[in-house]
Amino acid sequence: MAPMTLFSVADAIAAALLGLLGRLLPAGAAHAVTAPDVVLGLATVVFAAILLAASMLNTILLIWYERKLLGRFMDRRGAMHVGFAGLLQNFADGLKLFRKDTVRPREADSLGFWASPTAYMITSLLIFGVLPISTGWNDGSLPLTLLLALVIFSFAPLFIFLGAWASNNKYSLIGGMRSAAQMIAYEVPILLAVVAVVVLSGSFDLTTIVNEQRNYWFWAPLFLALIVFVAGMLAEMERIPFDLPEAEAELVEGWNTEYGGMLFAFFMLADYLRALVGSILVVLLFLGGWTWPSYVPSALTSFPLAGIVWFMVKTYLVFGLFVWVRAALPRVRTDQLLRLGWMRMVPLALLSIVLAAVVVAARCLPVLGCIPSIGG
Amino acid sequence: MADSPARTGSPPLETTETERPSLWVVRPLATAAKQFAKSLWRPSTIVYPFERLEDPKFRSAVGVESGRPIGVGEIWDNYRGVHALNIQTCISCNLCAFSCPDVCIEMVTVPGGDPKHPKKCPEIDYGKCSFCGFCSDACPEGCLTMTTRYELSVHKRADMVYSPQKMYEVFQSKLPMNPIRVARPENEDAIRLDPPLCIGCFACSRDCPTNCITMVDIPKATPKPGEKPAKRIWKEPVINDSDCVRCGTCISVCPKDCLFWGSRE
Ligand code: SF4
Ligand code: SF4
Ligand code: SF4
Repeated sequence: MAPMTLFSVADAIAAALLGLLGRLLPAGAAHAVTAPDVVLGLATVVFAAILLAASMLNTILLIWYERKLLGRFMDRRGAMHVGFAGLLQNFADGLKLFRKDTVRPREADSLGFWASPTAYMITSLLIFGVLPISTGWNDGSLPLTLLLALVIFSFAPLFIFLGAWASNNKYSLIGGMRSAAQMIAYEVPILLAVVAVVVLSGSFDLTTIVNEQRNYWFWAPLFLALIVFVAGMLAEMERIPFDLPEAEAELVEGWNTEYGGMLFAFFMLADYLRALVGSILVVLLFLGGWTWPSYVPSALTSFPLAGIVWFMVKTYLVFGLFVWVRAALPRVRTDQLLRLGWMRMVPLALLSIVLAAVVVAARCLPVLGCIPSIGG
Repeated sequence: MADSPARTGSPPLETTETERPSLWVVRPLATAAKQFAKSLWRPSTIVYPFERLEDPKFRSAVGVESGRPIGVGEIWDNYRGVHALNIQTCISCNLCAFSCPDVCIEMVTVPGGDPKHPKKCPEIDYGKCSFCGFCSDACPEGCLTMTTRYELSVHKRADMVYSPQKMYEVFQSKLPMNPIRVARPENEDAIRLDPPLCIGCFACSRDCPTNCITMVDIPKATPKPGEKPAKRIWKEPVINDSDCVRCGTCISVCPKDCLFWGSRE
């Protein structure tokens, strides 16, 4: 039997649905709707729907998780009354935002004002299309998934700036400017840190990168790169301590000052989507993805869905680290961020590339026997 | 010679941790982690409607360095909360309504009095009450007291007005109550009569809530020659001072203003 993948599940669902439909229709039409192309088309839609549902569900869970965790860091409880331990609080909040009127300032540019949250949301969701969560979850789809994910990820400041400019509000504009300025500080170190991973794994494909971590996870040799990547991700996600564009203490609410109701909910959701993506990327690149340490008995690892669960546990732990940082650190200034990016993170990332090269070279030493790893 | 800090006498600046940037990140992270570990099982928040601070279990949980924390683990019985009214013993003396600085007490009729002389008990508007406790201090019968109940939130403004019956329910729930003031001041004024003005109309004795006024016969005055005899009932109020609660009702009902406050003989 072929291994169960997400797409095969979607395919089965689509086939079943169309089969049901076919039985209700006359024979000629039934033949048309159950044609393989139609099934494939519907399967793609089902696949996308599953991805969307999974990512949104996880995002909302992530918000709950952050609220609970941050509460503990601040000696309080966080959401706790709606649903068990406040699990449904975010749904209630979302419903409330959904019912709100969306107010657009009279002077704001209509197209930019509406397009920006939509594009922000769409690009954030798009990344989920390329992230492999476990074997079978959308793996092996593209050869350059890592690059693609990072490229889509870095679209955000563009839309933030667009929305900020369109809002026609000085606080929004300052926030948008900061977002654009901040990007220069963190994109380079992130990419350099990723290069270290690519050197070690020899691939731009996320699935290959994870599979390369069968024997050892990359955080050990690439600890410096991990630090740079996590710090860069914090800036990329615009979370405290790098939330300069929002900076609610100085800029009202930063670039989304003028947004309310569902548009604000879009920004909020997309922010957490990006936080989820950031955590997933850390797990994929440095913490071994869905691979298990060798001492875990195989009875456990071969359990269906064990890979996904293991992966999500790690993702949530990484996000917990982000929350910890948020609870502990104050916001940096723009100049501090730039100095940090260029004078600390870039050299560290370069150093870790060298380290990765040394590790790759060491693997090829005759004593160890050349482990054929480069190129998968 | 250049001016050095040593010559000007200013001490060199203390080395602070701002000069060790590595601690910028590590120390706050450690602090946050410590707090997290401490509040992981039970954060300090007391989940109010489900838990109450006066619950004795918080006596140890909420640590206050300076000895006995006020209000934690118990409510002190001199807390001034919602009033309890014992309708049975209320004598409708009006003193509570008189003494209220916020004019939030209205005397309303309650069943139980005779039709000519309805029984009136206080009704308190908690939208105005400042919980000063004057009313319960003034109450001569100790039937209006303040309890430890502090929950007053309602949905409608009209619900803020507590009828005597409602306060009687509070009384029956036997909450801890504010101690009642029983001792009366030694030099308290008493009701005095200006006899020549009195016409013997019975108004005071009829309205006295404690029935401490008796009308006694007085000798008919012989009219001076050439004058008509005075038209009046030849009776005068005599007040039983030990039963009088000093409510002043008699003074306010007297049509001739012949009763007044004066020192006791
Ligand atoms: S406690 Fe309230 S009702 Fe009593 S006298 Fe004071 S303000 Fe008036
Ligand atoms: S002071 Fe006491 S006895 Fe007098 S009316 Fe008020 S509650 Fe009744
Ligand atoms: S003040 Fe007057 S009405 Fe009040 S108890 Fe004394 S005698 Fe009676």
